[in-house]
Amino acid sequence: MRPPVIVMRTDGTNCDAETAYAFELAGGAPRLVHVNQLRSGREKLNRYKILAIPGGFSYGDDVHSGKILAVELTSFLREEITGFVAAGGLVLGICNGFQVLVRTGLLPFGEIGPVRATLMVNDSARFECRWVRLRVEPSPCIFTRGATGRVVEFQVAHGEGRFFAERATLEEIEARGLVAFRYVDAGGNTTQEYPGNPNGSLNAIAGITDPSGRIMGLMPHPERNVLPHHHPNWRRLKDYLPAGRFIFENAVALAKGEG
Amino acid sequence: MLQEVRVGLLPALRDARGEELLNEIRTALGIQSVKTVRTVKVYRFEGIDEQAARLLAERLLSEAVFQEYRINEPLITNADRLIEVAYRPGVMNPEAGSLMKAAADLGIEGLLAADSSTEYAFFGSLSRHELETITRRLLVNETVQQVVTEKPATLLLGGEPGRTSVIPVRTMNDAELTALSEDRLFLNLEEMRLIQGYFRKLGRDPTDAEVEILAQTWSEHCVHKTFKARIVVDGEEKKPFLTRLREATAAVRRENLVLSAFVDNSGVMHFYDGWAICGKVETHNAPSAIEPYGGAATGSGGVFRDIMGTGQGAKVIASTDIFCFAPPETPPETIPAGCLHPHYLLRRVVAGVRDYGNRMGIPTNNGSVHFHPDFRAKPSVIVGSYGLIPADRAQKGRPRPGDKVVVFGGRTGRDGIHGATFSSAAMTDRTMTVNAQAVQIGHAIEEKRMADALLAARDEGLIHAITDCGAGGFASAVGEMGADTGALIHLDRAPLKYSGLAPWEILLSESQERMVAAVAPENVPRFMEICRGHNVEATVLGEFTDTGRFEAYHGKEKVVDLEMEFLHHGLPQRVLSCSLTAANLSEPEIPLPADWAELCCRVLSHLNVCSKEPIVRVYDHGVQGTNALPPYGGIAGDGPNDAVVLTPVLGKPYGMVIAHGLNPVLNKIDAYWGGLWAAAEAVANAVAVGADPRELALIDNFIWPVPEGEFLAHLDRAVDACADFSRALKLPFISGKDSLSGTYKGRDMVINIPPVLCISAFGRLPDINGTVTADLKGEGSRLLLVGNRREEEMGGSVYYDLHGHLGKSIPRINLKKLPEVFLTVHRAIKSGAVLACHDVSEGGLLTALAEMAFGGGFGAEIELPKGSRPDFFLFNETAGCFVLELAPGADPAALAGGVPHLLLGKTVPEPELRFGQGTRPLFTVSLARLRAAYQQPMKEVFGA
Repeated sequence: MRPPVIVMRTDGTNCDAETAYAFELAGGAPRLVHVNQLRSGREKLNRYKILAIPGGFSYGDDVHSGKILAVELTSFLREEITGFVAAGGLVLGICNGFQVLVRTGLLPFGEIGPVRATLMVNDSARFECRWVRLRVEPSPCIFTRGATGRVVEFQVAHGEGRFFAERATLEEIEARGLVAFRYVDAGGNTTQEYPGNPNGSLNAIAGITDPSGRIMGLMPHPERNVLPHHHPNWRRLKDYLPAGRFIFENAVALAKGEG
Repeated sequence: MLQEVRVGLLPALRDARGEELLNEIRTALGIQSVKTVRTVKVYRFEGIDEQAARLLAERLLSEAVFQEYRINEPLITNADRLIEVAYRPGVMNPEAGSLMKAAADLGIEGLLAADSSTEYAFFGSLSRHELETITRRLLVNETVQQVVTEKPATLLLGGEPGRTSVIPVRTMNDAELTALSEDRLFLNLEEMRLIQGYFRKLGRDPTDAEVEILAQTWSEHCVHKTFKARIVVDGEEKKPFLTRLREATAAVRRENLVLSAFVDNSGVMHFYDGWAICGKVETHNAPSAIEPYGGAATGSGGVFRDIMGTGQGAKVIASTDIFCFAPPETPPETIPAGCLHPHYLLRRVVAGVRDYGNRMGIPTNNGSVHFHPDFRAKPSVIVGSYGLIPADRAQKGRPRPGDKVVVFGGRTGRDGIHGATFSSAAMTDRTMTVNAQAVQIGHAIEEKRMADALLAARDEGLIHAITDCGAGGFASAVGEMGADTGALIHLDRAPLKYSGLAPWEILLSESQERMVAAVAPENVPRFMEICRGHNVEATVLGEFTDTGRFEAYHGKEKVVDLEMEFLHHGLPQRVLSCSLTAANLSEPEIPLPADWAELCCRVLSHLNVCSKEPIVRVYDHGVQGTNALPPYGGIAGDGPNDAVVLTPVLGKPYGMVIAHGLNPVLNKIDAYWGGLWAAAEAVANAVAVGADPRELALIDNFIWPVPEGEFLAHLDRAVDACADFSRALKLPFISGKDSLSGTYKGRDMVINIPPVLCISAFGRLPDINGTVTADLKGEGSRLLLVGNRREEEMGGSVYYDLHGHLGKSIPRINLKKLPEVFLTVHRAIKSGAVLACHDVSEGGLLTALAEMAFGGGFGAEIELPKGSRPDFFLFNETAGCFVLELAPGADPAALAGGVPHLLLGKTVPEPELRFGQGTRPLFTVSLARLRAAYQQPMKEVFGA
């Protein structure tokens, strides 16, 4: 059976169709659901195994990117989300979805509440769309299971992606091994240099997981690298295997109980 | 009392936005006295107490991890200079709605209004004069923004409701009619007399709403009087421009390709599996010249709505942007009074396109920027949009009598009435009364949710017909939809942004992000439910009737009662005459260059050649997951490609290609050959990536000086070029637009833009695996030049321009031979014999080779033929010529067949370009040096 995936959208969500497609390719049964349908009770999170919050500009990214949606989720769906996570549901936030997850508190430590880490305006002060290299880090994350050490290329497309936390929080994130992806240079080494690290993220952090490994957020777009022609230089690569698929496949496998 | 919350970064953190501004102050203004800039966000709330403001500050506005806040007091107190910049009252700040929503979500009650603005704190010894320069040149566009000098008393907008007045046209003499027209209608005397005669016959005088709706419907913008006029050139009558283009399209008989041409908001062609694709290209020149950010953003928004309003509603899948400006380094004193500097225009137009497209989630992945000093008063901003729609929903819908007129999306305000010509003096921030039309800044999220709702309603078959509320507002949208039936609307039902609009203003308002749908009465409840579910406001304004009349009420008062026949067919066809005079041009004599490497760098750093990558990088070109050939590629991602290839249906092998071509300076020499060049370039760009030259559709955009006298004659030749090209290539034009106001008349000078003909080409290909990029792929590959060109045709080239010459003999595209060239290149690519392909355009063969080498990361060794003049050989810009990198074993003669071709040389591992002629080496130049020259101009403008 294909596990049901809720791809949550709202005003300004715009990576929903391709995120749903990536889950479909991986064997999931995605459904696009507007947050209004959850607020009205027409849709329930507990009917799903995976919650994906896709990229975009939810509510125009007004005030802070993802902030208005984070306020909406924590104001109206706090118990539903907490229950979903407690029941073993998986949560994936990509780009704007990652921004939402840190602003609900779900990342980095898995609890709705105070904002412990944030995504600031890029060091360049610009929205940028470019391909970057990422290394999969050792972490409890189930989305990256089996891929530790792999270097993959994804596209970033954001203006507010600089991962930032106070020193103590950062140390805790590192000590507990919650970093899922780091920006690396052509040699595969962690980098703070533009454009390899496109936004100036501390410790080159591109994505993190919560301690349970079941909630992950990242700024780059794995859903833009699930078809052979997604890579900008696919014509130069022989038998290219799309590098974003494993994230969705891991999630679907676990949701099916195969993980 | 208003509550004020100020939020800023913690003092220890660097302020990236402040640094960006500092960089612009230093590079664009040359002001060095500023040492640091910090930014503070200011939020204002009306109707809540300080405790509620504190809750908002902590839960919504600031994050303690990296920010601090103050309530009702300053945050930065030690700055040397500090100013606050806000939108003017009446300019809708898109953030206000989000603030209201989030406050409600947080359970805060009583909030009446919210607003946000930005404070800039300057540290350093800058003078008051320098602050003024920074403010005027970089921070405040007075059309939409203002400096806040004291805390406003209220955020609430209000005003006296306007009334409908009767205009006594029946008794006016010619002078009075002319005065009335000049004041607000912009019609000529003959047209004013027609209106007078109509109402004399009716035995009553018109309302202001009626004359406004007539003026709008009969405006050049809406009816394209010039393109429909009879044209007399040198005493000989020719068919109207539009007729020529349509007859060409009809003559090429591509019924199997074209689904709808010229009749809908965009042109539609067949795609695959029951899908269709559509395209529309628009200009937004005047608004962008006044307020470049808002003008470009709402230009994008408008052309997206054209796609959304095609058939029963299409999904927007791509956006293109093509700009013409004066050079960014133009001395400020040469910019006419009242016009904005091109450095500012370029950056702000790019920002507008970026923010609207990115927020809507539309990939922007094809475009170009052209520079010429004569765009310094009137820039050209061209925005294109493409869509995907089920073929069986792609025909333009027809409302049926009884269908409801439903407006949905944003609210109606005093936006854009009579264009953006409002007087800022009439607007006071003290009274907060909106009494002038405001230019809009665009609200992409409003349009995004409207698009989401629209597609849901379309898929349920709820929409009979739909159109965009753009120029002319309800008057134009409802008037056009109901042209064959009749329509009756109630203006007082339209949701308004603020009170105080007169009925005619509601009717004519050009507020963005609104659309009108014809919905059968039984489907209205479901349509409304879908809109509510997407947070979209929808209102039934009235209904389509069978009266053949346009009727509008405000309350019980009937403010419009016009026959559709008179509205749409009452305007007589114009007759326009012109004669063509030979331009006084000459061919320059240019000696052969002494320093070839330096010359190559100057060509590559010419504004019309240099890399535009810093612009492309701020557009999200990967959203929707459809990109199969990016605007820049190659190993370092810095090699430009000729066109974009998308796979709009995820997982399917078939693709859509989008390309365009223009070269305004050529039209200064000869608009016929310049026109052919633009069309050939558009198709060549598509063919260079692998498109089938028989599977494309074309879109024309004419942006011309006011078409009087000679300029009309040039326009006539450009239209002939389009029609000839269409027939020769058997490619249909399926959409087009003209904007004929590219003449600036100042007090002591007249500036005509170089005439712009932009041709866009889009089409289908069955398998994206048959496409190629421009970056060189292998070492030792042979490089082949394919195409017809006469090397001495150097007029209008970058090479001539670098020597200060325009020249005379421009490339004359051979229409008899061009189809075979395109087909030959297409077949070669399809056969797999081509590893990389790039078309030759501005900057010539040298530029094409350099760009291919940048992407590949290695060089080439090129042998110039004996007898060629080497500078002409390298810098000729004839469109329709290609450089092919051949796969090992490919046979050049067999690939090229009867088409002219020349083996240029081969790729080499060293990162350099080497040129020789005969046995003599000519010069060698490193890729690093060329790349630096190529990238430098836009890096400087955009600080990348």
